Amino acid sequence: MDEIIYMNLESSPSFLLFIFFGTIIVITALSVIFQKNPVVSAVSLVFTFFALAGIYGIMGALFIATMQVLVYAGAIMVLIVFVLMLLSQRTETLSRYREYPIRLVLLSVFVFGFFFLLYSALTTGVPHSDQMGKGYALTEYSYPIQGTGTVNVKGNVATVGASTYLDYILPFEMISILLLVAVLGAVILAKKRLTEVEQTKDTVL
Amino acid sequence: MNQIVNGIPISYILGLAGILFSIGVLGVLIRRNIVIIFMSVELILNSVNLVFVTFSKALSHISGETIVFFVMAIAAAEAAVGLALVIAIFRHKKSTNVDELQSMRW
Repeated sequence: MDEIIYMNLESSPSFLLFIFFGTIIVITALSVIFQKNPVVSAVSLVFTFFALAGIYGIMGALFIATMQVLVYAGAIMVLIVFVLMLLSQRTETLSRYREYPIRLVLLSVFVFGFFFLLYSALTTGVPHSDQMGKGYALTEYSYPIQGTGTVNVKGNVATVGASTYLDYILPFEMISILLLVAVLGAVILAKKRLTEVEQTKDTVL
Repeated sequence: MNQIVNGIPISYILGLAGILFSIGVLGVLIRRNIVIIFMSVELILNSVNLVFVTFSKALSHISGETIVFFVMAIAAAEAAVGLALVIAIFRHKKSTNVDELQSMRW
C-alpha cells in the first residue's frame, strides 16, 4: 500500500492542488485566530471556506463544494460580518490598501490566482473521480422504492439529492423544523422588549 | 477502504482536518472576543465536514456527503441563534469580551 501512495505523490495535479489549498487553509485559519481586528479575521475565514470548497472539488464532491460556497462563504459570513458591523467601533483597516498600490496589486494577483486555481480544482475533480462505488460510478445508480419500482440517478448532485430524499427524509424534515425554531428564537432574542424602548433609547447604540 | 482519494492519500486529508480542528479549539481557548469564538466554532465544524467527505469518498458511500449537508444546516441555525445572543448580550453589557460576562458567577 505504501508504494502506491509514494507513486501517486508525483506529478498528480489534484495532489498539487491539495497541497496548495491545504497551505491556504492552515495559513488563513491561523490568521483567523491571531488577528487583532475582527474584520480581518472574518476576511481570513472567507478564504478558509473557499479553500475548503476547493478541496471538496478536488475530491469530487461537487454538491458539497457548491453548498460550502453558498452556505458558509455566503450566508454565515454575511451574518458574521453584519454583526461585526453592528458591534465593532474600530476603523476598517482594509481601506489602508488604497495608500499602498503595490500591496493592492499583489493582493489582487493573489485573489485572481486563487480563484483560477479554485476553478481548475472544480474542473479536475470530475474526471479523476474514478471510484466505482455507490454515488460515484459514471453509470446510473438505481434506488429501489417499494411499490413504484426504482429511480435512476446519475452524477454526484443527483445522488446526494436522492440519498437525502429517499434515505434521510425524516432527518431532512427535522432539520426544517429546527431551522424554523432557530429563526424564531433569533428574532425573539435580538428584538428589543417594548417596555424598554423608552428607557434605553438614548443610551444603547 | 480505499487509501487514496483522487490521487490524495486520505491520511494527508485527515491530518489537515486535525490541524484545522486544533486551530479551532485553540481559537476558542485563547480569544476573548465572542464573535471570533464563533468563527473558531465554524472552523471546528468545517474540519468535521472534511472528515465526513473524506470517509464518504474512501468508503465509496454517499451517506457522508448527505450528513455534511445536515451539518451545514445545523451550523446555520447555530450561527443565527448565537449571533442573536451576541447582540442581546452586547445590548445588555456594552461589550463583546467574554471576560466581562460574570453575571452567572457565584
